[in-house]
Amino acid sequence: MPLEYAITYKAENTYENWVSDAHWQFLIVPEENSSQELISTDFTNSLNAINEPSINGYGFQTIRVHPKKSFKNITFEATSKVIKKEVNPFDFSLSDHHHSIYRHIESLEFKVDYESFLRKTYFTTIPENDSGLFRFNRFLSIFENLRALNQWTYDHIFFKTEVTDVNTTLYEIIKNRHGVCQDFTHLFCALARQNNIPARYVSGYLHQGNGYFGDSQMHAWAEVFIPEIGWMGFDPTNNLIANENHIKVAHGKDYFDCAPLKGVVFTTGSNETRHSVIVAGQQQQ
Amino acid sequence: MGSIKNQMFSSYQKSEGLYDEIHDSNGEIKAIYKKLFDIYGEHSIKDYVKLNDKAKSSFFNQGITFQVYDKKKTQEKIFPFDLFPRIIGPKEWEIIEKGAIQRSKALNLFLWDIYHDKRIIKQGIVPMELISSSVNYLDQMNGIDPPGGIYNHISGTDIIKHNDGNYYVLEDNIRCPSGVSYVICNRTALKRALFGVFNHYKTCSVTNYAENLLDLLETVKPNGVDVPNVVVITPGMYNSAFYEHSYLAKTMGVELVEGRDLFVENDFVYMKTIRGPERVDVIYRRIDDAFIDPLEFRPDSSLGVPGLFAAYKKGNVTLANAPGTGVADDKAVYTYMPEIIKYYLKEEPILNNVRTFHCSRPDELKYVLEHISELVIKPVDEAGGYGISIGNRLSKKELDQVREQVKASPRKYVAQPIMSLSVHPTYIDSSRSFEQRHVDLRTFTVLGKEKEFVLKGGLTRVALQKGNLIVNSSQGGGSKDTWVLQK
Amino acid sequence: MLARVANNLFWMGRYIERSEHIARYLNVNYFSSLDAPNALSQDRQFVLRSMLFMVGNPVEQVEETLEEQKVLYSIGLDPNFPSSILNNVKQARENANSARDLISTELYEAINKFYHFVLKYDPGLFMKSGLHDFTMNVAEMTSVLRGKIRGTLLHDSVYAIIMMGINIERATQIIRIINTKYNDALNAQGSYGDKFSNSFEWTTLLKCAESYDMMRRFYKKTPTSISTLEFLILNPNCPRSIMNSLNQVYNHVKILDPSRAYNKNTTAFLVGKVRAEYEYKFIEEIEKDIQAFIEQILNSLREISQKMEKEFFNY
Repeated sequence: MPLEYAITYKAENTYENWVSDAHWQFLIVPEENSSQELISTDFTNSLNAINEPSINGYGFQTIRVHPKKSFKNITFEATSKVIKKEVNPFDFSLSDHHHSIYRHIESLEFKVDYESFLRKTYFTTIPENDSGLFRFNRFLSIFENLRALNQWTYDHIFFKTEVTDVNTTLYEIIKNRHGVCQDFTHLFCALARQNNIPARYVSGYLHQGNGYFGDSQMHAWAEVFIPEIGWMGFDPTNNLIANENHIKVAHGKDYFDCAPLKGVVFTTGSNETRHSVIVAGQQQQ
Repeated sequence: MGSIKNQMFSSYQKSEGLYDEIHDSNGEIKAIYKKLFDIYGEHSIKDYVKLNDKAKSSFFNQGITFQVYDKKKTQEKIFPFDLFPRIIGPKEWEIIEKGAIQRSKALNLFLWDIYHDKRIIKQGIVPMELISSSVNYLDQMNGIDPPGGIYNHISGTDIIKHNDGNYYVLEDNIRCPSGVSYVICNRTALKRALFGVFNHYKTCSVTNYAENLLDLLETVKPNGVDVPNVVVITPGMYNSAFYEHSYLAKTMGVELVEGRDLFVENDFVYMKTIRGPERVDVIYRRIDDAFIDPLEFRPDSSLGVPGLFAAYKKGNVTLANAPGTGVADDKAVYTYMPEIIKYYLKEEPILNNVRTFHCSRPDELKYVLEHISELVIKPVDEAGGYGISIGNRLSKKELDQVREQVKASPRKYVAQPIMSLSVHPTYIDSSRSFEQRHVDLRTFTVLGKEKEFVLKGGLTRVALQKGNLIVNSSQGGGSKDTWVLQK
Repeated sequence: MLARVANNLFWMGRYIERSEHIARYLNVNYFSSLDAPNALSQDRQFVLRSMLFMVGNPVEQVEETLEEQKVLYSIGLDPNFPSSILNNVKQARENANSARDLISTELYEAINKFYHFVLKYDPGLFMKSGLHDFTMNVAEMTSVLRGKIRGTLLHDSVYAIIMMGINIERATQIIRIINTKYNDALNAQGSYGDKFSNSFEWTTLLKCAESYDMMRRFYKKTPTSISTLEFLILNPNCPRSIMNSLNQVYNHVKILDPSRAYNKNTTAFLVGKVRAEYEYKFIEEIEKDIQAFIEQILNSLREISQKMEKEFFNY
């Protein structure tokens, strides 16, 4: 049964001194794909500046805002309505030839096609000393290995807010073993890639009705490419396969490609940003 | 040995083993230089110095200068220049011209490929690391079709003549190659100082560069634009190449803008004029990729235009050179140029490549470490002659240091045999005489949609320190007017 | 034309004009003081104070003794004194640099030469014996620049903007010089017996504005306060007068804004209004309260400049 969601994203930026010029780019509108349909998006800001819909370098929908007057405080609010299809994540059949599949993902052609999601980035580089953290079992299918990796990540890292931030690297996460969805996802992607599986960082919203971890901010999970299946979502923060509660906005190599808010602001002194996300769900009649 | 009677060259000393541009293998003055040699010989050194000084002060007064960065202060300097030109005969030029076009076209096809199907990598002709470990590869360019199918609209190819008498390419500069304004200024200065000599030679004009550039940039306009509005974007007047930026804008008759003069609205680009916003269609950008759009690339860039990349991706503006072109400027890509040319054009390379050792390959790394004193070690991603070590110029201790650097990050370095750049008589202030100095040649190639152009001339760069091989202006190099003779 | 570049051209014009006025002021005041007819006008302290007042850096303390060389150096060649001639010329060149693609090679070369002349001028020589040579050269070079501006640029919007800068600055500087000399004349009053209205300072004032000879031709009498002010403020044919400058600004703003529609918010409207006001003033009503008049005209000029910024230089 399809589910309808109303997602409200709010951000408030406050500056100590007047801001003379500012540009923002929001990457917060749910994408359209086979499992989700975007019904509407409504975006407002407190300065009544024009909201320009556009795309970013990877083709995801963005909204740019460039106020034409000075200000010290600005709030943004976006409300999106999405219909999510219920999909059975196990609706596939796998052949028994694990061996040939493993050979396939090691072929040059495959590596080139998925090169950008196999690449180590700043956030997905595993420190050399930790290179043996998770190795695939070649006797199991890729899918089974990934489920095990999902479980492993979930068990290995403890969900804890305010101990990491948007600049935290895997070195600290592996050492301290705590973090938030972004950190779980970076670790999961890095380990999948280390085992030759293309993995991408997904930014989106999580409907938390069922008590999942999601810290009332934007959520993050991973998508991995499995031959014979295609791209499939894994949420290591909650040890889940992504489902109808996961509403996707964008994907990329890591957080940097998917940051919900990028800005260039000309001002002096300190500033404060606050975000909040509310995902309200209701079953469609 | 040819007898040198004339005053100007009476003390000219030729070193064995160096290829001297004005002498043939018998030590005689080459036919194309003969007349020039005789005419200059009629002057005394004193006359020559006077003319040379006049030319220099005219550069200074016209503000044709660059800034040199020093720890204490920046200094305004002229690009050292001497009045004895380098001559290239029509036959040799034909090779250079065809070779430069061939390379530019091959690089363009290579760029298209690595931002689309990546066939050349899948077929194992070049390694995947060329893109996966290049800082200049932009994932955002994947699948984008640049207007007219052109990435490297403007290329600067650095060519040398080795002591075997053959031309070799040292590098292809396809980010924002500079120097073309000096080609034209050098010609102007020489014409003013010694107009008489031009009567004896049929020299190709270099003053048509800007009109050709504009013409070709107009062929890659975005779809649906009739007469495109072209602008040049500069980082600003404190940039070392600002003179060139303003020169190009002025001679093309287009606006010279900075990032803050432009803005993006509904994915179209506009400039702020005294009469309100005006749409911009083609941007010849002299700003590196990382700085063009702070919302897409480096967020701390104040030189760029927020939203510019979105406008580009939507096809509403052309950027020349295209973003991501720098990946092919990498010295590691250079080493595959012969394969790249053969793969896309089914042709043999016209210009030679210098044999290159990849420190990323264990066997080649081993060779490099063992023969380091006979090699030039270059970082793969530095421009301007920075970070180059020439093996036979270093002490044992320095060699050890270089070895350690290379071992620590082999992917960052390539090594080449020490090429012996040809030498050319060059007037040297300190000795008040002509001496042999090493030279190279930077040519300028412009690719448009089904049209291309090579400037008939180029920047002959001179390593002013005796025996030095590094010709970059930031490293104390000078330049000469370069004459390409008509057929 | 880009709004930013227009702004730079406007300021290039202003800085060129400003450096000339400062140079001439130094020259005329210094040299005419040497054999001035009264003791105070001859007094070096008096002259140095007047110079500092003119560049907007008045000395507050009466007891302070100024060192001649120091004062001359700071106004002429001090790189750390914002209103020095050196810094004005430097600013003119920086502004020209960023508009280099729009102006002629000839004009750029002349500005560049001017800059290098000032930059290379030996400060020791300047303080010891070069004051006349330096200031005369500055004045001459600015006049060469004006020639290049008129003779090598298209008379289009680029030209119009530079000319507006020059003329707004000229009116501003003339009024500041009037203000300074008015002050000097007040201070010098009674020191020798000449009255305010017949002060020697009026002659100096006219010379500072390069208008002494023509003023004598026009009035055929020794300058008095009233004739000097009338000539320098209201005479539309005196090239340095406020009236002439306003007329020029008006003519050039019409090139930028050729519209004939009635729009009270434009710069052109404001310039026309200010100009009309001064066209029908007479000197007696100005002389009643010179101080208030000076304030008023400076305000009007500032307002025009601000309006231009909003309308044309908004980037």
